[in-house]
Amino acid sequence: MSLEDLRGKLLNVADSAIKYTRDLNAPSAEVYVISQSLTTVSDENGMIESRDGIVQGAGIRVAVGKQLGFASCTGFEDDAIKSAIEQAHKVARRSPENPMFPGFTPDVKPAKEGILDPEILNLDAELLLKEFGVISEGVDRTDQRIVSFSMGLGCSWQGYAIATTEGCLASSLLTTYNGNASTVVMGEGDRKSAFDFKARREIIGLEGIGKNVVDKALKGLGAKPFEGTEVLPTIWGPREVGGFIIDALRVRILGSAYVEQSNPWKDSLGQEVTSKDLTLIDEGQKSEYSATQAIDAEGTPKSSTTLIDKGILKNFLFNRMFAHAAGKETTGNCQRSGGIFGGGVPFENSPNIGPNKILVNNVTKTLDEQIAELDRGILITGQPIGLFASSNPITGDFSVNSNESFLIEKGEISHPLKAVSIAGNYIDSLMNTMFIGSDREMTYWPVDSPSITFPKHTITS
Amino acid sequence: MNSEFIFDLLHKAVKEGEKIGADFIEARYDDLQLSSMNYTNEILKESSSRRRKGMGVMAYFEGTPGYSFTPEMNLEGIKEATQRAVKLALSTNPRNRMKLDFERRPAIKDKVFPKVKKHPKDYEIKDKLDLLKRGIAAIKESADVNTTIGLYGELFGDKYFANSEGSEIYWTPIVVDIRMSAVIISDGKQATAGDGMGQSEGLEFFDKERWMPETVGANTGKWTKEFLDAVPAPTGKQKVLVSPTVGGVVVHESFGHLSEADFVVTGNSPIADRLGEQLGSEHVTIIDEGITPYGGWFYPYDDQGTKTSRTVLVEEGILKGYLHNRGTASKINAQPTGNSTAVNFMYNPICRMKNTYFEKGDLTFDEAVEQVGNGIYAVNWQGGQVQMSGDFLFNCSRGYLIENGEITKPIKNTALSGNILELLKHVQGVTKNIQLRGNYFGGCGKGGQFGLPVGTGGPEVIMDQVLVGGTK
Repeated sequence: MSLEDLRGKLLNVADSAIKYTRDLNAPSAEVYVISQSLTTVSDENGMIESRDGIVQGAGIRVAVGKQLGFASCTGFEDDAIKSAIEQAHKVARRSPENPMFPGFTPDVKPAKEGILDPEILNLDAELLLKEFGVISEGVDRTDQRIVSFSMGLGCSWQGYAIATTEGCLASSLLTTYNGNASTVVMGEGDRKSAFDFKARREIIGLEGIGKNVVDKALKGLGAKPFEGTEVLPTIWGPREVGGFIIDALRVRILGSAYVEQSNPWKDSLGQEVTSKDLTLIDEGQKSEYSATQAIDAEGTPKSSTTLIDKGILKNFLFNRMFAHAAGKETTGNCQRSGGIFGGGVPFENSPNIGPNKILVNNVTKTLDEQIAELDRGILITGQPIGLFASSNPITGDFSVNSNESFLIEKGEISHPLKAVSIAGNYIDSLMNTMFIGSDREMTYWPVDSPSITFPKHTITS
Repeated sequence: MNSEFIFDLLHKAVKEGEKIGADFIEARYDDLQLSSMNYTNEILKESSSRRRKGMGVMAYFEGTPGYSFTPEMNLEGIKEATQRAVKLALSTNPRNRMKLDFERRPAIKDKVFPKVKKHPKDYEIKDKLDLLKRGIAAIKESADVNTTIGLYGELFGDKYFANSEGSEIYWTPIVVDIRMSAVIISDGKQATAGDGMGQSEGLEFFDKERWMPETVGANTGKWTKEFLDAVPAPTGKQKVLVSPTVGGVVVHESFGHLSEADFVVTGNSPIADRLGEQLGSEHVTIIDEGITPYGGWFYPYDDQGTKTSRTVLVEEGILKGYLHNRGTASKINAQPTGNSTAVNFMYNPICRMKNTYFEKGDLTFDEAVEQVGNGIYAVNWQGGQVQMSGDFLFNCSRGYLIENGEITKPIKNTALSGNILELLKHVQGVTKNIQLRGNYFGGCGKGGQFGLPVGTGGPEVIMDQVLVGGTK
């Protein structure tokens, strides 16, 4: 099967399901079908595991006026789909009205697809396994400090289609390829770990990932405690700052929170909400990102949305329902997965809102130049624990623990630190950035940003 | 499809796999129905029903596994999935440096059903929505709130298992769950709190006075209002009395995962090779169990067909065991503990927890508060993270000051953190109250498999030297 064969099959299944909804007297309906062929292999310190299969299913919404019902089923068997339609219809008939529901997507012209790599269709576990040699190249397995070294590889080719009784029949395709490495090292009384992950839409070289994680973990050995409590600048590298920003904005960017009055920025459109040096664009059309698709998960063509322009709040992320309730246009940010990071089984979730890939503009300073500017500060080189857990999304107060950080003294990295607590306020931090880097790279976060130096965070041992 | 037909298909998968070169085959079929409702501000924001059915095949060759799955329950689909699984096992075997073969055992033939009086499948959507409406009405009666959220979730269905030993196992998972929460915004202050939990029971669970929607709603309103006047928690290391909910998540996330034997045999766990070592104080006994005397998640068999047992992980502070699948148990000459679980048929089973909890002690709640003297009573949590080093951080979303042996003021959201292996040494007492929950909402995540229902909870536990982060 080719990617275009898959597209044809999905459109056919979705269209047939819409015909069933008419046969079953469902007055208005939307059918979302997805098929994902995947292969994964992992090497957990020598223990190999592998998995492949096709994740396939349908999510059906039926509307009776403004009464909505949702049901899903695994597989594309006629009986399963018909049963899901009947169930969604039954749920709709017994549900109260949802006054925000605007009707399903009408006929649309899909936007651009992202990069598709047909070579991914030819990969299997055996071929992926050979890449473990590439990932682990340069890792010294005789180094007694390496307690464990693990790798993972995965690839998938997938597509989804939407059909509605209102005339939408559209689809989108995606190919993915990803690799990761992680390690645990021990020495000098310390136990340190490190992790790296690369995900792209096409097959890429994964050279160096393994050696990088081992080198990174080893650099953390010999950590010294941070004494007392100080207010210091912190530098968040490009792989760490994405987590900082998405945790800060996870409620503030959502049109649903704007409509439900729980968004702290609900009255801030057109106002300065961050430093003038920051521009944030939700990107659904740059071909290299995996979030780029021709349509979102309810059929709206994907696009780019400026959220913050030089510090000024310009928009929120919307799907059709919340855009309608807010009196605005949908931004094509409907997704069918759990939470801000996506994930889950898409056909099992009814539409919600999530970011595509939020891009923060590059400014000028390299990471080294930012370090050189500080007399005393902290460099954070791994994801602290507590992001998304110990922050208050309303006030922006946060407190996290970092086990991968370094003390900066007189413009240079001095030494690794034992665990430190870092506390502050996200919104104050984004309003008062000290330096913004020029080193944005593709990460696994929903936000890609260059490194950022924040002037004042409270550091405690 | 009837049971006979399903077992027949599973046995055909086993035979096919063996015929084309596998040493051992496990085949399973899940047919689960998951339904949920989100009733926000008295609008039914979402009502969904999900049917999750399909088959998974695990093939083993010389101790190397390969897993494949299919949503197609017909002979062709099953044969194809079996062939793919066997191919994976055979092709990855030469590179596998840690082969986890296991001893064969006699076939198990069993059918297990939990006791359910009011099965959710026998009730209409409106009956379940009524539960939420009753809870929301109770919130509004007890407090003037800005936002109300009521969540209802249910999971039930059938699980079938067959393997090369001729085993045939059938059991019926179930869980029902209600959660209520509210938000009050007043005078520039915002407060939120919630109540509710799930259990492997039918809807009769919500007839019990403590878990009636009226009680859950009234608690939600009362606690939300109370938190408008919350004070910042004192920061620094101190004594914390953790509730069954908070203690349950700490022991699950920060200790339970370390005891999962796949992490142990690969050397990733810091408690690998430490059996017999005194890890904690004499007050620490940690159990992982499939069917408990305290409720929680009903889990009679794992996804390798092993009958779940009561696994003592730590006894009076001494590390006694790990959570095994058949291969890891064999690797270190232990017995399988029934901890090989997959979140659904699309995933291979991996080492997961069952119902994990601190065993109860002999303190009353009042004695525990008095023993703390000055510190924190952490009642609920929202969000948290752990690392394989045993480091953890949980956000205490509902807590109180303990001053001079009495619970006094509510505290603002605060981070509780530490390292579990250090903290176990500072457990100073455990109450005799014990409460376990089975969860529809939330669930456990590992290895890309999220939302696995597990049982959590326990008694109240006094932990000293917990780092209380404060809000800023």
